[in-house]
Amino acid sequence: MNEGVQPAPRIMRIVILGGGTAGWMTAAGLRRQLKPEHYSITLIESDEIGTVGVGEATLPHIKLFNDALGLNEAEFMRATHATFKLGIQFRDWGQPGESYMHPFGAFGEPWRGVEFQHQWLKAGLMGADPGPLQDYSYAIAAARGNAFEFPNGDPKSIRSTYAYAYHFDAGLYASHLRAWALPRGVARIEGQVLQVKRHPQGGEINALLLKSGELVTGDLFVDCSGFRSLLLGQTLGVGWEDWNQWLSCDRALAVPSRRVEPMTPYTRATACEAGWCWRIPLQHRTGNGYVFSSRFTDEETARRTVLAGLDAEPLAEPRLLKFLPGRRRIAWSQNCVAIGLASGFLEPLESTSIFLVQAAVADLIRLLPDPGCPATDSRLAKEFNRLNELQYERVRDFLVLHYFANARHGQPLWDYARAMQIPDSLQHKLDLFRSRAALPSYQYGLFSRDSWLSVLMGQGVKPRAYERLADTLTESALTERLQSLRQRIAANAARMSPHSDFVAGYCESRHLAQESAT
Amino acid sequence: MSREALRVAVVGRDADLWLTASVLGRALGSTGVRVIAIEMPSRVPAGHVTATLPPIEALHEKLKIEEASLLRTTRGSFSFGQNVVAPGRQAFFHAWGAYGASIDGNPFFQCWLRAVRSGLSVPLQGFCPSAIAATNGRMLLPDDATVAFGRTDYGYHLNTLAYLALLKSLSAAAGVVLHRTSRITVQRGADGDIAALLLDDSTAIKADLFVDATRESSLLASEALEVPRTSWQAHFPADRALSSAAPAFTAIPPFAEIRITPLGLAVLHPTQSATGVVFAFSSRQMSDEVAAEQASRSSGAALRDVAFSSLKPGVLTRCWERNCIAVGAAACSVDPVHDVEMHVLQLGIVHLLSLFPVSGHFDAERLEYNRLMRSHYDRLRDFQIAFYHCAPFSGDFWAQHPTLDASEALADRIAIYKARALIAPMENESFSSESWEAVLLGLGVVPEGWSPAINAISWQRLNDEFGRMLQFVRAKVLEQPMHGAYLDSLCASGA
Repeated sequence: MNEGVQPAPRIMRIVILGGGTAGWMTAAGLRRQLKPEHYSITLIESDEIGTVGVGEATLPHIKLFNDALGLNEAEFMRATHATFKLGIQFRDWGQPGESYMHPFGAFGEPWRGVEFQHQWLKAGLMGADPGPLQDYSYAIAAARGNAFEFPNGDPKSIRSTYAYAYHFDAGLYASHLRAWALPRGVARIEGQVLQVKRHPQGGEINALLLKSGELVTGDLFVDCSGFRSLLLGQTLGVGWEDWNQWLSCDRALAVPSRRVEPMTPYTRATACEAGWCWRIPLQHRTGNGYVFSSRFTDEETARRTVLAGLDAEPLAEPRLLKFLPGRRRIAWSQNCVAIGLASGFLEPLESTSIFLVQAAVADLIRLLPDPGCPATDSRLAKEFNRLNELQYERVRDFLVLHYFANARHGQPLWDYARAMQIPDSLQHKLDLFRSRAALPSYQYGLFSRDSWLSVLMGQGVKPRAYERLADTLTESALTERLQSLRQRIAANAARMSPHSDFVAGYCESRHLAQESAT
Repeated sequence: MSREALRVAVVGRDADLWLTASVLGRALGSTGVRVIAIEMPSRVPAGHVTATLPPIEALHEKLKIEEASLLRTTRGSFSFGQNVVAPGRQAFFHAWGAYGASIDGNPFFQCWLRAVRSGLSVPLQGFCPSAIAATNGRMLLPDDATVAFGRTDYGYHLNTLAYLALLKSLSAAAGVVLHRTSRITVQRGADGDIAALLLDDSTAIKADLFVDATRESSLLASEALEVPRTSWQAHFPADRALSSAAPAFTAIPPFAEIRITPLGLAVLHPTQSATGVVFAFSSRQMSDEVAAEQASRSSGAALRDVAFSSLKPGVLTRCWERNCIAVGAAACSVDPVHDVEMHVLQLGIVHLLSLFPVSGHFDAERLEYNRLMRSHYDRLRDFQIAFYHCAPFSGDFWAQHPTLDASEALADRIAIYKARALIAPMENESFSSESWEAVLLGLGVVPEGWSPAINAISWQRLNDEFGRMLQFVRAKVLEQPMHGAYLDSLCASGA
């Protein structure tokens, strides 16, 4: 075989509108996988349009994205003031005062084909006092101790049973990706769109006319314009599927505060009267915010709530963001693909925004039309939209679970949430867990069975029974096994280094290093 | 929590009865579940051969069936896939194992297509170790290197009567209580549930749950509980099948062979003692007598133990109704072409086990089971319809291409395969994307393109990787024992 028989390919011009996290992840992801002589990539961004860029918490998948680009982890973390994340702590979601962790890791181990939660339930029901389920996660033990180390690769070791993600400054992450993409052939145009030029017959997008008078033509347009959804929503008129009935929050107030010790290796989400507050530790500050529902509180009360919840002095005035929960009915219409907030919004309760971008970029590369072929191929668009819908609905159901299964009686938002009619796809998962502690099993989309287990149990959903197969485990062997598991977890977690030290030694941001030197 | 003791009665015949009873007995017997088997007269013709897909291994493990003793007892053989032979066309092999290895995370199939477009002349199956081994009469025994390369799964061809005897003995050993009857009468309780089954001698078998394993007659679910059935008949050209046996091959091929004829298709299942022959045809086009001649000609041998049956592909709208769960052919009838009948049964059993009631309240389990099984069975149906829809063969039997309107998902899947050499990922899919690709490509459906990421791989890298894989396949295949010799030594061991 040789290259000579290939016809000289035409170039497909990809134009990305918007330079936030979604825009630069798309630009970098596409550039990494596509040959420049087949695809040109141009990104239009405006310094005048702010990005949402608050402190961002991520899921472990992002490491795959960074690794594929060949990013050096320590450099990336230094550049984005990043810290490690082992999971999310949920405070006050059940009864006020209660708290649980959703870790990036396993609970216990299956034994003779019996999943761990059945072993644990059986031990509890036979009166063996196995302690909280949360004690059987190594990632949780590490997080509680504010400790961190990299997982090891030995599947037999308890120290391999978790993954990690990052907290970082999303604005700096976008800059970091931009610095990666520009020298590799992504063209950047500074400017704002004045007008979208469409084909008079088909209606697909031909070009973007900028305020500067520059006309940017293209074959495929990727809408990363954020909530405005300038191309997909405003121009092509793709409708909005509103999920407000399940997810009432539509506002957020974000405020940074001074860094405190210990630096937690986890995100915190604290339920409040009309929503919940996030806390994301970065190297140089802590990101905070209150996601709330304008139906259930006003901005002034929300402002007082978020400030009252800070554990250190605020570094700026709280900044208001408005949003709607839901998604565009399709993400790929005509020759336009929306990625990120332009295609949908789900509150950051489970840190899924960047994952949804990453998944969309991967699907787009798999389904990208060939140069010279129409970017309006409905077969490709239909499959992209199917996958996109699946991802969003999986996340939606998982988020709705947090609201639906609450024990905050007497607070209107939470009383509403407990009484709401939830999607069938979530209802049958709940019914099955209640009936027999069975966890949802699906192959595609977030979240893992361990994730479901942590949140179902954490939110107080009680199974009535465990699997019959667990009856084959003898009580003494079970007790012994659980005890040894707890001991292994505790002993290994105790040997980990403090998260702050680990970050300082591995990837301390330069200006912080200078500060501490002076 | 103390369990209510549950009694489950499995009523039916043949593999559907004995595989269900033995697995339930083995898995649940020690958890306070009493399993009762009610055996109805067998309808298996003497020379019948059961073909299994690789996942059966999981059930055999549960039953502690060892491969050597299984193949010795049933005079069975290995099957690495299906060779599809049609007049005037190049044969192709649909392997249960993997084709090629991914290159830098990119799917092999797409890399191969790009290379072929530029002049590579090695067929897809040239990169499939188990296909090359099998078509050369050899085994493919997995080792670390083959595992790193990809799956080399196999199923079996088993002489059915011996296999059933084995499963029956395992049922008894697992504590299953056995009854026999030629007829049953269903007694309903006041709540509408099944309360008991009356046997020939008027014994009433009471149970909490009843498993309908009565095959096509579906005596409990369809007849007694009147669960509607969705027919798939319009999507399949065959409505009748002949089952028979031909003499064993001298050198036993480690695969099944599908032989296409203008008026139907024959599936040959070689074993050590005989070769099972199934011939599927349309009763509107052929009488049983002509079909028998065709089957004999197509298999190139005189056939014995010839028996006919009707094919009624379709599925129950609810596989679990009230306190009755239908498994196997009682729940879902399939076309014989892809050897999926045992897999249908296995899916029903496995999901029944994972959703087996933990108390007297099992509404959530019932709903979930019905949702899951319909999804599984629909995906199997789609795979089979895709085969008939894309079949390029000539002859009356093949003239009416079934439409793809059985499900929207199927039409979309074939469209996206044509556009991008991609099998849309779906939940509850039994066949791997490699199976879909091998079959669609073998039928002559060549994708128009692939992901542009494939074009970013350098030619040097592609050439090197293809060269390395071909060398690996050749070397691995040459290491392998011949199928016949391997069977001889396996069956002699410990005999």
